[in-house]
Amino acid sequence: MRSYLARRLLLLVPVLVGVSVVVFLVLHLSPGDPAEIMLGSQATQEDLARLRRELGLTEPLHVQYVHWVAHVARGDLGRSIWMKRPVLDEVLNRYKATLVLTASGLLLSTVGGIILGVASAVRPHSFLDRMSAVTSLFGASMPVFWLGIVLMVVFSLWLGWLPASGMWAPYGEGGLRDLLAHLVLPAVTLAAASLTIIARLTRSTMLEILSQDYIRTARAKGLVEQRVVFRHGLKNALVPIVTVVGVQAGYLLGGAVLTETVFAWPGVGLLMVQGILARDFPLVQGCVLVIALTFVLINLAVDLLYAWLDPRIQYE
Amino acid sequence: MTARRALVSMIAIALVLSLAALPLAAQPTGTLLVGLVAEPVNLDPAQVTDLNSIRVGRRVVETLVAFPDESTQVVPGLAESWTISKDGLQYTFKLRSGVKFHDSTPLNAEAVKFSIERQINTEHPAYKLGKYPFANYFFGNVKAVEVLSPERVAFLLKEPRASFLAILTSSAASIVSPTAVMKSGPDYPSHPVGTGPFRFASWDRGQRVVLEKNSSYWKYPLKIERVIYRPIVEDQARLTELMTGGLDLIVGVPADYVSKLEQSPNVSILKQTGAHVWYLGINNQKKPFDDKRVRQALNYAVNKDAIVRDVLKGTGTLSKGPVLPGTWGADAALRAYPYDPEKAKKLLAEAGYPNGFSTTLWVPESGSGMQAPVAMSTVMQSNLKAVGVNVSLQTMEWGAYLTKLRSKEQDLFALSWMAGTEDPDMVMYPLLHSSQWTPVGPNRALYKNARFDELLQQARLTTDQAKRAQLYKEAQRILVDDAPWVFVDHEIQIAAFTKRVQGFKLHPSFDLRVETISLK
Repeated sequence: MRSYLARRLLLLVPVLVGVSVVVFLVLHLSPGDPAEIMLGSQATQEDLARLRRELGLTEPLHVQYVHWVAHVARGDLGRSIWMKRPVLDEVLNRYKATLVLTASGLLLSTVGGIILGVASAVRPHSFLDRMSAVTSLFGASMPVFWLGIVLMVVFSLWLGWLPASGMWAPYGEGGLRDLLAHLVLPAVTLAAASLTIIARLTRSTMLEILSQDYIRTARAKGLVEQRVVFRHGLKNALVPIVTVVGVQAGYLLGGAVLTETVFAWPGVGLLMVQGILARDFPLVQGCVLVIALTFVLINLAVDLLYAWLDPRIQYE
Repeated sequence: MTARRALVSMIAIALVLSLAALPLAAQPTGTLLVGLVAEPVNLDPAQVTDLNSIRVGRRVVETLVAFPDESTQVVPGLAESWTISKDGLQYTFKLRSGVKFHDSTPLNAEAVKFSIERQINTEHPAYKLGKYPFANYFFGNVKAVEVLSPERVAFLLKEPRASFLAILTSSAASIVSPTAVMKSGPDYPSHPVGTGPFRFASWDRGQRVVLEKNSSYWKYPLKIERVIYRPIVEDQARLTELMTGGLDLIVGVPADYVSKLEQSPNVSILKQTGAHVWYLGINNQKKPFDDKRVRQALNYAVNKDAIVRDVLKGTGTLSKGPVLPGTWGADAALRAYPYDPEKAKKLLAEAGYPNGFSTTLWVPESGSGMQAPVAMSTVMQSNLKAVGVNVSLQTMEWGAYLTKLRSKEQDLFALSWMAGTEDPDMVMYPLLHSSQWTPVGPNRALYKNARFDELLQQARLTTDQAKRAQLYKEAQRILVDDAPWVFVDHEIQIAAFTKRVQGFKLHPSFDLRVETISLK
């Protein structure tokens, strides 16, 4: 187990190097560079040449990359070309907001999805089951930004129940209630698609399990139905659900880019988009590294969870 | 079992109630909430390249000469007076006495010298602390800045340039506290210190920039305590915040929302034409566009009125040339090309293209000052098709687009320019003088006319504004005839604000002057 964990953690290094090389190449091979974008339509050749030189963009690509890696190895992610601020501070600062949003979205979609899925499976073809099938289709096929805007118009503009954007009140950070009020709409928007996927999967897995012999035995023993469904049914259905939840976590991290833009959530997704538009290579690399690291760690956690859920699974 | 359930529900109810009872942040009085379309990037006036940073940053710093409300005529700023030498090579400024930076250090000639030389003098101790993108564009012509006395400072120029005062109103010419720059080093863009109406207070990344009033502001006492800028990218979110009290003022209202807002009893709308021009560039050196008749035909073929009315929905005003209408350099007698497809066809036939031709139009998806580039270009595409010119649109991302324009391979291209001042030199020279052909400068239409060049050069060397105006008017008449672009529109900026906001005025330079506001 321990050697498995160590091996998986070691694998992080090539994954992160690979990701950084790909991002580096994509950013550098796409037309337009930071100097060009900073100067915009007013650029003169002289200003462009000087700025490129000062930003170190005239060096060969591999030299620029090695230069960056050498700094990263010392824990220095460099300074944003565009914002003139240390990248590490900036990314970590925004990462907290993204984590809050993604974790809430994940919690909402997992808990909601499982509850909905189990309820549908227990009474298949009931009114609730049909309703959940319709809403699922709706939830899964709705674009994130559109759903976000609709929720915003209804709950902020018309009803005035919830704030439309931001993470805190405009005047500054309030307490937990302030945060929760601002979190509701983005978290629901982000969770919608994942929730329906998890609900449908839970339903089908549960239906299969509830028709197994050991469930009949449990019922024959006279167990309360609740115990049959949750202890004997759901626990055995969890392995595929956990797999999908792990995948959804990655999806939510990506989906946060859109949700953050719609709701002005001060997260790393919005920062990364702006960084890409400005070809701010150190900043984008910093954001991508943090997101990739999170994704890899979530996958690792999912793999470890299997063993806990199903003791038959062994790691070598 | 029931007892446990009751306990669980009681705890749940208590949790919800206690959450609802948690206090929300109180609304401090005298605070103005301003919505921006994107977050400011940095607040060093010499390092900024985007409008949002300028709009926030310019509240903190000031320039030697400035613009009054609602105009871009140059008036005294931190300098109370100035003289220009006969040869136009020396500008001497007398500074206002008793003005202090927000860090209590005095404004003096040394500070002026420092603020400019840190951008252009590679030996300057502050040169390495930042990257100054427009240093050469604005100050390439400055030979030296000389301190004559603590209150008198002189700029020595390499060659005369009549628009130099207009240059000194630019953000890059802002006077910063040398003490603060040296103290903050490379982090200065996050801690700006100037003499402006507001001092920098705090910046919560991605959420808000807070400026507090400068109680000892030299010009007039401010009527608000602080301004909070909130970056909200999504149009609907910004609008919703305005309608629900999360914002007091927004600029850049999308055209589609204007009429809806005009009907709202709680919101006021303000419009003003900015020093901006949107044009369809034509490669003047490439066949068939090297023939003047073809370029004129394009001007007749494009229905500018329809673009302004139906695409821009009143957020643009028809353009007759690059100079802002109604200002001293603009020729009021200038006639815009009317929409006349028949005339266009006739001109094309005369030029030897009775059946038209095929060409490409490059369009950026978005970009500073580009309004609705794709929609506008699509209308032009169908207009041109009607006269036999088959245009294929090539849409590009902004950065890629700018690079591609440097290739000189363009046929037609959509572009705009925000001069920030009404001085014709700041728009005509860079965009149309033949010394500025891309890639050296921004003349991407590769336009060249010897008489036009000469007029522009002469106007640069003339300090008398009335004489300059005559030269520019003649130059504009040449432009209309040569038709190096299809002149499309000047942007009308639109601000929306709640009824508690009083005394707000839009500025043609696109600056956002919240210092004149009081709150009801």
